[in-house]
Amino acid sequence: RYVRQLQRLQLLFSPTAADARGARQFVEEAAQDFARQHPDVVLYVSPHAGPGPAPVLRAEYLNGTVREELIASKTSEEIVQLATKLANQSGLDIIRIRKPFHTNNPSVQGQWHPLTNKPSILTVQGPCLQPQ
Amino acid sequence: VAKTSLTSPPWPEVKLPDPVEETKYHAEVVRKVNGLISTGEYGRLFAVVHFASKQWKITSEDLIMMDNVLEAQCGDRIRMEKVLLVGADDFTLIGRPLLGKDLVRVEATVIEKTESWPKVNMHFWKRHNVQRKKIIVNPQTVLRINTIEIYPCLS
Repeated sequence: RYVRQLQRLQLLFSPTAADARGARQFVEEAAQDFARQHPDVVLYVSPHAGPGPAPVLRAEYLNGTVREELIASKTSEEIVQLATKLANQSGLDIIRIRKPFHTNNPSVQGQWHPLTNKPSILTVQGPCLQPQ
Repeated sequence: VAKTSLTSPPWPEVKLPDPVEETKYHAEVVRKVNGLISTGEYGRLFAVVHFASKQWKITSEDLIMMDNVLEAQCGDRIRMEKVLLVGADDFTLIGRPLLGKDLVRVEATVIEKTESWPKVNMHFWKRHNVQRKKIIVNPQTVLRINTIEIYPCLS
């Protein structure tokens, strides 16, 4: 039961701009293969005619984060790699994570406290001064 | 001979039990633990697993992140060998150093393969006009441990 965290990939580019050549090649050749390999990602291709903003690959994730990556002057293979990288990610922010593990049940046999594995007379009596 | 402070060692002297009784006791304990496992009376299981040159203490449904690239795709199920320790509420099985593969089974799925946050690697040498800046981004994989199972085949 694995759910891919990427919702949709929007490819915004203009067919006339010179730096969108890689995007156009990607759309012609590799977009269909990419869509077949990742059947649970929706790929939108929206060319806007005329000189507009720079070509951008926008990824939206299930928790609402939107990540935009520039694809101006990139070859089609690089765009494919970028797309697979975005598809494998989840929508969490890329900041420093403090711990590389996360559990909901950290202790199974009970957490250690200084009185485990000691004779139980200590819990009954408590610490007391030894006579000098 | 007179007894000085160095005749006997300072730790309390321990008498080892009889070897025959010892083996009987061992067999009894093994039979009991086998019975417990086969009836399935354990609650949560935890395991210590050696993975990606690090040892992790894992239970079911918890997340682990490593700083490398695994050859599995997102969503693949992975079986982890190299289990060092398995424990439950009442008993633990300690391997020397590994436990058998027919005894424990640890399964995990690859959830995501991202990159780390951009780390800055800068060298600066004052009054020498020397500086060098590099941004390092490591690929990371996130695994989720699905299940830890044990089978009653001790000896």
